[in-house]
Amino acid sequence: MGKKVLIIDDSNTMRKIVTRSLRQAGFDFDAILEAGDGQAALDVLAGETVDIILSDINMPVMDGIEFLRQKQADAKIKDIPVVMITTEAGSDILDEAKSLGAAGSIKKPFTPDQIQETLGSLL
Amino acid sequence: MDLNNSISQATQEIFQSMLMMEASPGQALTERANSFVNSVTAIVGIAGTNKGMLAIHIPEPTALVITSSFLMMEVTEVDDDVKDAIGELANMVAGSIKADLTEQGQDFKLSIPSVVCGAEYEIDCLTDSDGVSMPFSIEAGDFLVEFFCRNNSVGTDTLVSDCSGPGGFGRG
Repeated sequence: MGKKVLIIDDSNTMRKIVTRSLRQAGFDFDAILEAGDGQAALDVLAGETVDIILSDINMPVMDGIEFLRQKQADAKIKDIPVVMITTEAGSDILDEAKSLGAAGSIKKPFTPDQIQETLGSLL
Repeated sequence: MDLNNSISQATQEIFQSMLMMEASPGQALTERANSFVNSVTAIVGIAGTNKGMLAIHIPEPTALVITSSFLMMEVTEVDDDVKDAIGELANMVAGSIKADLTEQGQDFKLSIPSVVCGAEYEIDCLTDSDGVSMPFSIEAGDFLVEFFCRNNSVGTDTLVSDCSGPGGFGRG
């Protein structure tokens, strides 16, 4: 069965860039699902199974940190790896994300090679 | 690294890696620009020990070219896609500058970007702060990146040159 990815970002532009970069990095997902914030992502995950999640941190409604917290509390989805894609490189926020189970992080701006390097070991 | 270099490097890196465009920095302006015509402005607020904002002001034709490049499709009018793309551009520049300042021990929190556009408008905020207004040129036109802040913890007279710590951020 092919793999599925969920991209969480409040910017439609960034979701399109991440989608394009995944393809340029050589990933051939069966489905690329999108959500505009953490709550919308939880709604998607209530009805879909995905293999990996790429999430922004600073978002309205529910940010990436609260999304990680909610995901960790849900046995059905807690083991799905999450990679943070964020401008918040090197900050305390990323340490918090890691403590809540984030599997890795990619700093914006990024290249397809960086996507490949980070996701390659998780899929 | 001074603030001019931080803005310059962040902007150039983002244009190069995300848009495949060369953005050439010009001489920092000596006065703030606050009136804009047929432009798009994205603002990211700064909170924490430092209070301020990062703004990018882009004439509409240039904003359309940047958005078209981001989305890899032709965009011909200022719509939600343009506002979103220019907002994300400001978010990335602010994030890169934040990383530089955080390395120097500064406490910064960034807001979600706000975007203003129109035929004629004025931006008037943080008039008691100091910082940098730096013009850039790309093939499609020019745009302006501004970063202004002050330190909340030591009073309104303390400007960016004081709030940035021993590394020497400030007008330079």
